[in-house]
Amino acid sequence: MTSKESYRAELRSAARQLSDRGLYSAAKWASELLVDIDPDVPPSSSASSSRATPSTSSSARPLSHLHPDVAIYRRRLRSAAVGASGDVSATPPAGVSYISTPIPDDDGFDGGSNDRYLLAKSYFDCREYRRAAHTLRGQTGKKAVFLRCYALYLAGEKRKEEEMIELDGSLGKSDVVNSELISLERELSSLRRAGSIDSFGLYLYGIVLKDKGCESVAINMLVESVNGFPWNWSAWSELQSLCTTTDTLNNLNLKNHWMKDFFLASAYQELKIHEEALKRYECLLGVFRSSNYIQSQIATALYNLRELDDAEVIFEDLLRNDPYRVESMDIYSNLLYAKESFSALSFLAHRVFLTDKYRPESCCIIANYYSLKGQHEKSVEYFRRALKLNRKYLSAWTLMGHEYVEMKNTPAAIDAYRRAIEINPRDYRAWYGLGQTYEVMSMPFYALYYFRKSSYLQPSDSRLWIAMAQCYESAPLQMLEEAIKCYTRAASCNDREGIALYQLAKLHSVLGHSEQAAFFYKKDLDRMEAEDRQGPNMVEAILYLARYYKAEGRFEESEYYCTRLLDYTGPERETAKSLLRGLKIAQTIPSMDIEHFGS
Amino acid sequence: MSPPLGGGGSSKEGDPVVFDITPHKIAVCHIIQVFGLPAQPCACQSISQHHRLGLFLFTLTKSCEGFLEPSLEELINQLKALGDLAWLSEHLISSLLRLSSPDDLFNFFDKLRGVLVAPEGSSMEDEQIYLDPNSHLGVFLRSCILAFNMLSFEGVCHLLTNLVAYYNSNDSTYEMAEDDDFNESEYHGLLDDPELDCESSDLEEYGLENDPQAVESLLHMQKNVLPKFREDNEASVDSEIKLDDGGAQSGSLAPLLNNFRSVDGLGILRSRWQVEGYLNAQAELLEKDAVSFPLNSFTATLKQLQKIAPEFHRVKYLQYLNALYHDDYIAALDNLHCYFDYSAGMEGLFSRPTSPSEFEVGRYETALLCLGTLHSHFGHPKKALEALTEAVRVSQQNNDDACLAYTLAAICKLLSEVGVSNMTGIIGSPYSLGTTTGLGTPLSTQQQLLVLLKKSLRRADHLKLTNLLAFNRLALAKFDLKHVKKPLLCFGPEASMKLRTCPISVCKELRLSSRVLSEFGADEPLQLNDTGAFSTSWLKNLSTGDNPWSTKLQKPRSLFVNDYDTFHFHAQPSPIPGSVLQLAGESYLLRATSWGHYGSAPLVRMNALVYATCFADAVSSSELSFAYVKLIQHLSVFKGYTEAFKALKLAEEKFFSVSHSRIQLLKLQLLHERALHRGNLKVAQQVCDQFGVLSSFVNGVDMELKTEASLRHSRTLHAANQYSQAAAVASNLFCTCYKFNMQVENATVLLLLAEIHKKSGDAVLGLPYALASLSFCKTFNLDLLEASATVTLAELWLSLGSSHAKKASYLIHQALPMILGHGGLELRARANIALAKCLLSDPSFSVSEDPYSVLDPLAQASEELEILEYHEMAMEAFYLMAIVYDTLGRLDEREIAASSFREHSMALENPQDEDNLPTHWVHGT
Repeated sequence: MTSKESYRAELRSAARQLSDRGLYSAAKWASELLVDIDPDVPPSSSASSSRATPSTSSSARPLSHLHPDVAIYRRRLRSAAVGASGDVSATPPAGVSYISTPIPDDDGFDGGSNDRYLLAKSYFDCREYRRAAHTLRGQTGKKAVFLRCYALYLAGEKRKEEEMIELDGSLGKSDVVNSELISLERELSSLRRAGSIDSFGLYLYGIVLKDKGCESVAINMLVESVNGFPWNWSAWSELQSLCTTTDTLNNLNLKNHWMKDFFLASAYQELKIHEEALKRYECLLGVFRSSNYIQSQIATALYNLRELDDAEVIFEDLLRNDPYRVESMDIYSNLLYAKESFSALSFLAHRVFLTDKYRPESCCIIANYYSLKGQHEKSVEYFRRALKLNRKYLSAWTLMGHEYVEMKNTPAAIDAYRRAIEINPRDYRAWYGLGQTYEVMSMPFYALYYFRKSSYLQPSDSRLWIAMAQCYESAPLQMLEEAIKCYTRAASCNDREGIALYQLAKLHSVLGHSEQAAFFYKKDLDRMEAEDRQGPNMVEAILYLARYYKAEGRFEESEYYCTRLLDYTGPERETAKSLLRGLKIAQTIPSMDIEHFGS
Repeated sequence: MSPPLGGGGSSKEGDPVVFDITPHKIAVCHIIQVFGLPAQPCACQSISQHHRLGLFLFTLTKSCEGFLEPSLEELINQLKALGDLAWLSEHLISSLLRLSSPDDLFNFFDKLRGVLVAPEGSSMEDEQIYLDPNSHLGVFLRSCILAFNMLSFEGVCHLLTNLVAYYNSNDSTYEMAEDDDFNESEYHGLLDDPELDCESSDLEEYGLENDPQAVESLLHMQKNVLPKFREDNEASVDSEIKLDDGGAQSGSLAPLLNNFRSVDGLGILRSRWQVEGYLNAQAELLEKDAVSFPLNSFTATLKQLQKIAPEFHRVKYLQYLNALYHDDYIAALDNLHCYFDYSAGMEGLFSRPTSPSEFEVGRYETALLCLGTLHSHFGHPKKALEALTEAVRVSQQNNDDACLAYTLAAICKLLSEVGVSNMTGIIGSPYSLGTTTGLGTPLSTQQQLLVLLKKSLRRADHLKLTNLLAFNRLALAKFDLKHVKKPLLCFGPEASMKLRTCPISVCKELRLSSRVLSEFGADEPLQLNDTGAFSTSWLKNLSTGDNPWSTKLQKPRSLFVNDYDTFHFHAQPSPIPGSVLQLAGESYLLRATSWGHYGSAPLVRMNALVYATCFADAVSSSELSFAYVKLIQHLSVFKGYTEAFKALKLAEEKFFSVSHSRIQLLKLQLLHERALHRGNLKVAQQVCDQFGVLSSFVNGVDMELKTEASLRHSRTLHAANQYSQAAAVASNLFCTCYKFNMQVENATVLLLLAEIHKKSGDAVLGLPYALASLSFCKTFNLDLLEASATVTLAELWLSLGSSHAKKASYLIHQALPMILGHGGLELRARANIALAKCLLSDPSFSVSEDPYSVLDPLAQASEELEILEYHEMAMEAFYLMAIVYDTLGRLDEREIAASSFREHSMALENPQDEDNLPTHWVHGT
């Protein structure tokens, strides 16, 4: 029994169970993964062991650990397969047999219950949720109870959305609550106390609690749910959305299952621990070699680490394998935006437009394209559409804020950024955007607060520190000491454009700290030489160094820089010449003395 | 500005933003209907009852307190309180119950119309009363009908759901027990979830808060409530116990619980105007008296409000204020930025416009102004100045003159309060406020302050900002009080400047500043800005008293309210807004302070009394406590410590923990003075140390406190005969005062130095200090201090030998009118003793000829010193007395004086601990 075989079996049964309960996206996720398990190499034990050097523990341990579970599921799988075969009359208790294992007397008395379930499920599939729930009233089987509650929950959600639009327009932020939450919570909690609840029920209980705002209890329920039935990706992602800090993540009491690796990787990604996420995904790729999901996550991580080229290759590959994919294509579009590839972005936009134009991701891609083209009004229009489709679309709010800044509509920009912060208060981009907006309005002191906030959330990003430094440096504030502190931070965290070094040198020279100024000019010069760049900064650095060394009496170094200056045209050349002349005069007199004394 | 959402246009049906129709309003409409059509069942009421109902309806439609409308239960209780109207409440309930479909609602409003308009051709014979459509109730009805008619079908459905909830909330209060299982299930969560836990305990606090007496015990409660509440919960899941344990509390708790429950989906909200009004009222209260708002419970209330109405950004502002007054820097900063981010540009771009444009909307320059005040509140003068200069710049950019004027005033306030010794590079930057001197010389801080003040004043005058005008005049008065105005340009020796402060200008500014009041009185006498608060209080009385018509005069009132509040039920509301009243009051306070400087004790007392009696409910409690401090200080100087401590005790009760800083400071001051007088140096030193701890360690902040602390330190050392140290501390203080340009304090410090040298026996060294102090006093018109300095000078001369006795006596006589008129016990005693000493050391004076010219002053001095318990000086007086009696040969009297001397010297040597206020009192503070 290879691990891959068992994975396949687990996923196969899980996908069936999930779709049987109307948990579509989790079912989709599981089936995708099922297909992605490396189909070519059946005796995969060699492959997995050879590939997964660090991950042997993570992929092998859960297997041995879960062996009994696997057996159970294989058994269930068989019965489920029978149940799903559609021959209802022949196997009356079959459809519910595996969920009612703890309470066998459940539903066993008449075949009608299963018929009802079928009917309810059909209603559910047609999105007639209340009707589905009504059909299942009085049913006590776990599966039936789950579907009824879930249908009620969805009905409440639907009504909530409608109400929100009725009350506040499509982008309003009224706090309408799902009206079913209280009754659902009551019922589910009593079920849980009675012990007659399965993992799916716990999942539902978890989201109900989460919506009610009882987050810590919700976490407990979701953990219980995924420990019982680990293949429900929806439960994992709900759990992940609740883990806003590494502490909560580390304190989760999770069973060691291979699904946990997926969860952790995605949670790390969300918490911006990209390297760790990348490591985990690469391990997982050992088993699920052709998984598009993992590929896209890896590409996203690379993009966040600003390894744009590597990420682009993966995205291209992904698009080739799965041409009608829309998920995570918005990140690809961000990447193309950053690289300013007009044609590729337009191609992508066209493609997703044809695939499904009413997806928030598609709208976002189109908006990105317009933004790149400099047509900000249109861009805003598409961002708005994306937000109408999903009002919690974090990056769309932030990007729309950027567009408004470009359009000089600062109040709108501020509003958009604030909405992003409301959704996720740890979104440093939005804080940064707010700071920028206020800087544009020439309120640098006011803007400082926002830059401080953003650099607190993302201390390793040099751009944030530079922005803060520029605020301090600005004409009205002129707080150069503080600016130097910020630039020093920026220089210490991998500032690629080299702005920080140059500014440090300049500020020090303004403040008359010639030694430090020379140090930073030298450093900046070295950097430019290493990157093989030319420019006015270079000339300035050389000139400063030449003068500095002359003033220090280190004439040889000074001469070296002066001669370098002679390679350039312009006024600097003349300055260099006169400097050289001065050097010669200075050199002759004191150096003679030194020679005399030295010899 | 981008247009509102194109597609979402049709979805914004509920457009009558100002007037929302709510279930409560439907209930009120229903009662109005009954009122208008008395032909309803049981039309048996008398005329007076009918009138009472009308009055009730009138107040009901005007009342505005709170952001949640009263529940049905409260409404019914109020109805019941009116007297025999029980049938009405039943009628109300049953007819509300009948409204079960949208069509019922339509019919209901159709019928309402019938109350308003007399049907064509109907005769007036039947006893039907038609409401005048233009009357208050008529307008109310019409706006309700209009609001209903503008609702879309969805809106009607929402209204119906809310109505059912409104009705049910009435039921559920009686059937709490049914919720047992709900509580139990929640309970696990409750223990796990700290958030929830805290919320519910806050809830209990809030319930208590409504009760005026409970406020007093709140500090106790805060400690006890949390554990107790938890125990309560653990002991019995039944929530009924919580409700029933205190009869008085349950009344306020139950509706609140309901509110919390009803939050799940359907807040029965008031109209936005009312919520705005509520928020403004809360903001005012918060600024006035922050301590009565417990931080957490108020935050909880605000959170609830925000949950119900997320569009109300002003809630954020209140959260900012709340955090500010509870010294939570981070929360204050966050909320400030949040508020202005939302509201500065425009109200809600992505959601429906919540408020009509008349509402106050913050702007960016206002944001900076607030940021500046925030920083100055937390004692960051530098940051505050940065923010305020930016505010100046932005408001110049945006042509916001009003904000500019306010910002200038804020800068002035900052400059006058905070010691900024060097201003270069802060305001002197190109953005500066145009230093128009044209001399090219940098202006000192004080000069800049004056320039700024004048500018701000001119601007305020120009813009007709009455409040600001008053504020600026006060600031100018403060400035004039403490600073000599030097002409910036003076030509030649001719222009000999009279370097003196100008009390007349202070007086003028003060008078002008309180003119604001009369302006309000005269210009718009009929401006009735009744926000409905009176109606609300009327309603409240209705539900609290059993028979509101008789007991209203005896209801317990909150501590800070004036007596004239009693008349609020009948009198018209005062047309003067609170902030103006506050400024007018402040002018009295400043009058008291300035008289204190100029040395007229009776006038200090008078002005403080005026302030404490007339402005008590308009001003913040901390300022009120300041007036009390002045009064008690006066007591201690003129009546001795026993009286002062008695008064202090009363004041402490009154300002229970409110403005601990001021009252506490006063207590320390009194303790220190008394310890010095009694010679209890250990205690004095302890108190001194406590003084030092109170001030902030940041440079340039709390300057007054710091000065006082080191002054007292020096005096303690002086009393302990450690002259060199005392002199060192004092001269250090002098340097600081000089650096920060605190000239008035310099006079005191110099006088202290003179005293130190006098006591150390180095009279020659003391003389220049005394003379310098004297000249400072003259410059700043510090008459009483001048008298005191004169006495010191006389004493110094006297100690130089008997040949100077004439001179000394002349000096004292010069100062005597001032001292006898305005001086305190100590100063009078000192003058008397000095006078006696002068006479005694005068060789041309013989005791036997005119014994009473010596004995009288001595007797008076000893009397006064005994009140003060100033042992050391009392000893001196009795010693002199004994000598005089001895020379006169009056031995009995000599013995009495001698034994008094002995008593005092014993008391001085072993200072027994204070009788009523033992030392632990000091430690306890």
